[in-house]
Amino acid sequence: MVLFVGKRLVLFGFMLLGLLTIMFLITNVAPGDPAKLMAGQNATQDMVETIRREYGLDKSLPEQYAVYIGGVLRGDLGRSIVSTKPVVDELLRYFPATLELVLVAMGLGILIGVPFGMLSAVYRDSWIDHATRIFSVSGVALPAFWFGLLLQLYFAVHLEWLPVSGRLELITPPPEPITRLYLVDSLLRGEFDTFREALQHIILPALVLSFPCLASILRVNRAEMLEVLQSDYIVAARANGIPAFRIITVYALKNAMLPTLAIIGLRFGWMLGSTVLVETVFDWPGIGLYAVQSALYSDFKPVLGVTLLIGFCFIFINFLIDLAYGWLDPRLRTQ
Amino acid sequence: MASDTTSVAPTGWRARHAGTIRQWRLYAHLFRRSFSSMLGLFLVVLFLVLAAAGPALAPYPEDTMGAVHLDNRLKPPSLTHPFGTDEMGNDILSRVIVGTRTSLWIGLIITGVAALIGVPLGIFAGYMGGRIREVIMRITDVFLSVPGLALALAIVASLGPGITNCVIALSLVWWPGYVRLIDSKTLALKEELYIEAARAIGARTPRILFHHILPNCVSPLIVKASMDMGMAILSAASLGFIGLGAKPPSPEWGAMISVARSYMPDWWWYALFPGLAIYLTVLGFNLFGDGLRDILDPKSRGR
Amino acid sequence: MKKFVMLGLAAALLSTAALPAAAFERVGDRKVIVFGGRQQVPVIDPHVRYDWSIRMMQQSLYDAMAKYNGNPAKIEPWLAQKWESSPDAKTWTFHLVKNAKFHNGDPVDAEAVRYSFERGLKLNKGVAWMLKDVLDPSGIEVVDAHTVRFNLKSSYAPFISWIPWWYIVNPKQVKANEVDGDYGQKWLTENAAGSGPFKTKRWEQNVLYELVAVDDYWKGWPQGEKNRPAGIIYKIIREPAAQKAALQRGEADIVEGLTPDDYDQIKSTKGIVVQSHAGMTTFGIKFNTQTGPTKDINLRKAIAYAVDYDSFVKVYNGAAILETSPFPQGMQGHIDVPERPKQDLAKAKEYLAKSAYPNGGIELDYYHVAGLEEARRIGLVLLDNLSKLNIKVNVTPEQWPNMVAKGSKPDTAPNMTSVYVTPISTDPDAVAYQYHRNAWGQYFAMSHYDNPDVNALIDRARTLGKWEERAPLYAEIQKKIVADQPEVFGMIQNRRWAHRDYLKGFAFSPVRFTGEVDLYPLWIDAK
Repeated sequence: MVLFVGKRLVLFGFMLLGLLTIMFLITNVAPGDPAKLMAGQNATQDMVETIRREYGLDKSLPEQYAVYIGGVLRGDLGRSIVSTKPVVDELLRYFPATLELVLVAMGLGILIGVPFGMLSAVYRDSWIDHATRIFSVSGVALPAFWFGLLLQLYFAVHLEWLPVSGRLELITPPPEPITRLYLVDSLLRGEFDTFREALQHIILPALVLSFPCLASILRVNRAEMLEVLQSDYIVAARANGIPAFRIITVYALKNAMLPTLAIIGLRFGWMLGSTVLVETVFDWPGIGLYAVQSALYSDFKPVLGVTLLIGFCFIFINFLIDLAYGWLDPRLRTQ
Repeated sequence: MASDTTSVAPTGWRARHAGTIRQWRLYAHLFRRSFSSMLGLFLVVLFLVLAAAGPALAPYPEDTMGAVHLDNRLKPPSLTHPFGTDEMGNDILSRVIVGTRTSLWIGLIITGVAALIGVPLGIFAGYMGGRIREVIMRITDVFLSVPGLALALAIVASLGPGITNCVIALSLVWWPGYVRLIDSKTLALKEELYIEAARAIGARTPRILFHHILPNCVSPLIVKASMDMGMAILSAASLGFIGLGAKPPSPEWGAMISVARSYMPDWWWYALFPGLAIYLTVLGFNLFGDGLRDILDPKSRGR
Repeated sequence: MKKFVMLGLAAALLSTAALPAAAFERVGDRKVIVFGGRQQVPVIDPHVRYDWSIRMMQQSLYDAMAKYNGNPAKIEPWLAQKWESSPDAKTWTFHLVKNAKFHNGDPVDAEAVRYSFERGLKLNKGVAWMLKDVLDPSGIEVVDAHTVRFNLKSSYAPFISWIPWWYIVNPKQVKANEVDGDYGQKWLTENAAGSGPFKTKRWEQNVLYELVAVDDYWKGWPQGEKNRPAGIIYKIIREPAAQKAALQRGEADIVEGLTPDDYDQIKSTKGIVVQSHAGMTTFGIKFNTQTGPTKDINLRKAIAYAVDYDSFVKVYNGAAILETSPFPQGMQGHIDVPERPKQDLAKAKEYLAKSAYPNGGIELDYYHVAGLEEARRIGLVLLDNLSKLNIKVNVTPEQWPNMVAKGSKPDTAPNMTSVYVTPISTDPDAVAYQYHRNAWGQYFAMSHYDNPDVNALIDRARTLGKWEERAPLYAEIQKKIVADQPEVFGMIQNRRWAHRDYLKGFAFSPVRFTGEVDLYPLWIDAK
C-alpha cells in the first residue's frame, strides 16, 4: 500500500509539472504586450521598459520559465500586471467565492440527481425514465451562459424574486471572515439577514452550474442502480420479502454510491472550469471571473494561476479517488 | 470486412450483403423505437439542412453579411421579422439560420482535428503498450487534468480572439478524449483471439491495425464524434460569449448572445433565439449520439 | 420527491424575503452616495497609473497644485494659490496655500510638492511622460516652506496644463511605508497619503470601494457643511443591464456606461436624469500612411468621402457631434476646417480613379478593440459604405495590448484602426503632438503620419509664451493635417451618466475621462 501511494504521489508531481510547463508555453506565445497596456496610453518606450523589467518580462523565455518554476516551488505564482499584486493573494481572495458556488451547486446536483437516477432505474422504460433521459441530456446541452441569462430575465427581472447578480446586495458588508464562505460565516456570526441575502444570491448561479453535473450524476446513478438491482443478492433480498423501498434505498443505493462518488469527484473539477461562464453571467467575484477579466487584458500570470489551481484541484481529487479505489480493491495496487 | 472474397460465387448484391442488411435493419428498428433518438435525428437533420441551404432560406440574406439598417433597430418579433431585429437593424432569424453553417464547420473541424490527432495516438499507445504507451497516456492525462474550457480560455487569450484561434484552441483541448477512448478499445481488442491468430499467421502490424483494430473502433468513435459535435459547438459558443470568439459580421451564435447581453432585459429576443439555436443543436447531437450508442454499443447504455 | 420538498423550501424562503426596499445609505444623519461603475480600481497610487476610475479616486483622495474645473475646462488654483512663469516659459514658481493639511494632520508644504514630483519622475510610470522630457528632479527647488520653483530644461508653455494631474503625496507617510526602496509603491496601491476631500474606508478589490468625507477638509465643501455626504461608495457593476436595474431601484444613485439605447429609454423615466455632454474624446479611423494600399493619399481621400458620417452620430443615437478638425471642439485653438470631407460618392469615385486601385477590388483590415460595441458597429458601417467602392473591409476585434503592439510599427500597423483618443489637457499641444513624427510608436500615432511642415510648426508653437502667437500656428496645423487625411475624422461622443434626480452638484468638465466624475461637489437633496 505504501508503494502504491508513493507511486501515485510521484505521478501526481509529474502531472503538476507537466501542466505547469504546458500552460507556461501556451500563455507565452502571445503577441500582446500587457506591459504596454499597464504603462498607460501615453507612456514612452522607456516607461514600458520600466514595467517590463519590474515584472521580469524583459528576460528570455527559458529564464522566465526557470524563475516561474522556482517561484511556484516557493508558493509564488508571480504578480498580476493589472492589479500589481501577487497572484497567490488574489487567488486566495477569489477562490472562496468560487468554492462556495461550486459546493452549493454540487449539493443541488446530488440532491436532485441521485433520487431521480434511482427513480428512473426502478421505473425503467416508463415515462419517468424517458423524461429523465431527455432532461439529463438537456442538462449537458444547455448553454450555461444563455440559461443563466434566461433565469435572470425571469426570476430576477420579471418576477423580482431573486437578485440579478453579485454575492450580496450592492453595499451589504460581508460577514467577518472565518471561512470566507458567506453562507457559513453569516450563520456562524448569527447574521441571519446576511445569510438570507447570500442564499438568494447563490440560488440562480448554483442552479445553472449544477445542471450538467446533475445530468451526469443522474445517468451514472441510474446505470449503477440498474446493475445492482439485477444482482443476485438483491434478488435474494426480494425473495426474502424485504420491502421494495427498503431494498432500493438501503441495499441498492449503498452499492451504487461508489461510482456515483467517483463521477462527483470528476465533475467537481469540471465545474471549477465552468465557473468561467457562470461567474461572468452572474458577476460572481470568483476565480472564473478573475480569469476572464485577466484574459481580456492579456494579463497571463493570473490566467496561468487560475488554470493551475483548477488543474491542481482536479488532479488532487482524482488522486484521492485513485487511493480510495486502491484501498477498496487490492487488485489495483499490484498493477 | 465486406471486401473479403470467398470461394462461393455471390448472387447479386442483396444476397451477398444479406447479413449486413439484416444488421442495419435491426439497428434502424431499434433506433426508431426510441423517441429521444428520433428527436435527436430530427434536430440533426434540421441543422444540416439549414447549414446546407442557409443563405437561400434566410429571409434577409444581406443582413448576415453586415448590412446596416439603423432605422430598423431592436424591433420586437413580428411577421416581417419573426425573431425581431438586432442593434444594427438586422433580421435575427436570418442571422440565426446562417449561423448554423458557422457552427457546423466549427464542430466538424474541432472533432475532425481532435480525432485525427487522438485516434492514431490512441491506437499506437494501446497496441505498442509499455513505455511508449506510458508516455503518451501521461501527456494525455496532463491535458485532461484541466477542464477544457479553462484551458481553451488560456490558449485563446494568448493567441488573441477570433474564430480561427478559437477552433485551434478547442482542437488542442479536444484530442485527449480520443486517445483515451481508442487506447482502451485497442487494449481490449489486442487480447482477442482473432488478433492473436492474425499475428500468429504472420500478419504485419500495419495490417493488423488497419484491418482488424481500426474497424472495430469505428462504432465507439462514431458515437463519441456525434456527441462531441454538439459539445464542440457549445464550447465555441461559450468562448464567443466571453468575447473571444467569432468576429463580426459573420453570424455566430455565442458572439450574438455576448452582444445581446447588454440589451437584456428590455430587448430579450435578441439573446433568446441564438441561445435556443445552440441548445437545440447540442441537444440534437447528444440525443442522436446517445441513440447510436444504445444500438451500437448496448453494454454501455446509461453511462 | 425530494425535488418537490426542495421547491417547497425554496418557495417558503422566498416568500418571506422580499427584496430590500430602496433607501439611502446613511452614516448618522448624513447620506452616502452610491456610484455604479464598470471599471475596477486596482491601483490608487497617483504616480503609478491612471484611467478614468483610478483618477476619479485619486482626485478624491489627493489634491494637486491646480485643478481643472468647468466647461470649457479652466485651470483653477488649488494647493497653489497663485503661480507665475518667466517670459520664456522656462521657470515656473508656485505659491502654496498655508492652511492645507494631509489627512494625518501634517501640513502640505513645498517639500511635499518637491518630493511628489521627484517620485513621479523617478518611478517613470503613469504621469511621468507628461513632464519627463522637460523636467529633471534636480530642477525642482524649495524656495521656502510655501514656495516651490521648477527650472525646466527647455521652454515649455503647456507646463501648467499638466500640473492638475500631479497629485501631492505626504512624504512622511510614504517614507514610513517604503519597502526595498520602492517609494512606497506597494503600500500606496491600496492606501492613500493625501490631502483630498475623501479618505479610503472599505476597499474590497473588484467589488466595492468606499470613501468617507474628511470632516474638516481644508478647502471646505461647496455644497455646504450641512449638505455634504458622509461618503461615496463606488460599486463595481459590470453589466449595463444590472447598472440600469440598480439605478431604477434606487440602489445606485449614479451610473455610467449604459448602452445608448438604455440612456434613451431611461431618459423619460420619472426621477432619473441623464447627463449628456460633449467631451473631448475623438474617434478616428487611422490609416496606415506608410505601408499598404492606404499609403496612397487618393485612396485615403476616396474612403473619407465614401463614409456616411451621419451614421457615426446615429451609432450613438444622436449623442455625439462630428469632428470638424483634428482638434476636439472643446480644445483651445480649435477651428472648423472648411475643407473637411463629407459623404460624396461621386467625389469618392473620382479620388478612387486617381488612386492605384481605380476599380477597388482590394480588401482592407479594420481593427477595433474587442468588446467596444460602438467601434465594432462603425466597422460594420464602413464595411457597408466601402462596398460601394468595391472595397472589402475585414472587421477584426483585437485586444488592446495586441492592437497597440501591432500599431506601434508602420510595417505591422493595420490598414485602418479605430482609435479613441482623450487629450489629457486643454492645451492644443496635447493633440497636435499626436501628429508629430516623434509620436510614432504611440497608439494615437498608428497612422505614422509624417509631414515635415507640420512637425516644424508643432515644435515652434510649444516654445512660444504668448497665446496670441501660438493660435495662428495651430490653425495652420489643423488645416494641413486635414489636407493629408491621415485618418477618417470621426465624431466626439457625448459622455453620459444617468443619476437619480435627488443627486445634486454634478459638474461636467470635458477634460476629465469618460466616466470620470468629480465626486467632491456631489450631494443628495432628499429627506
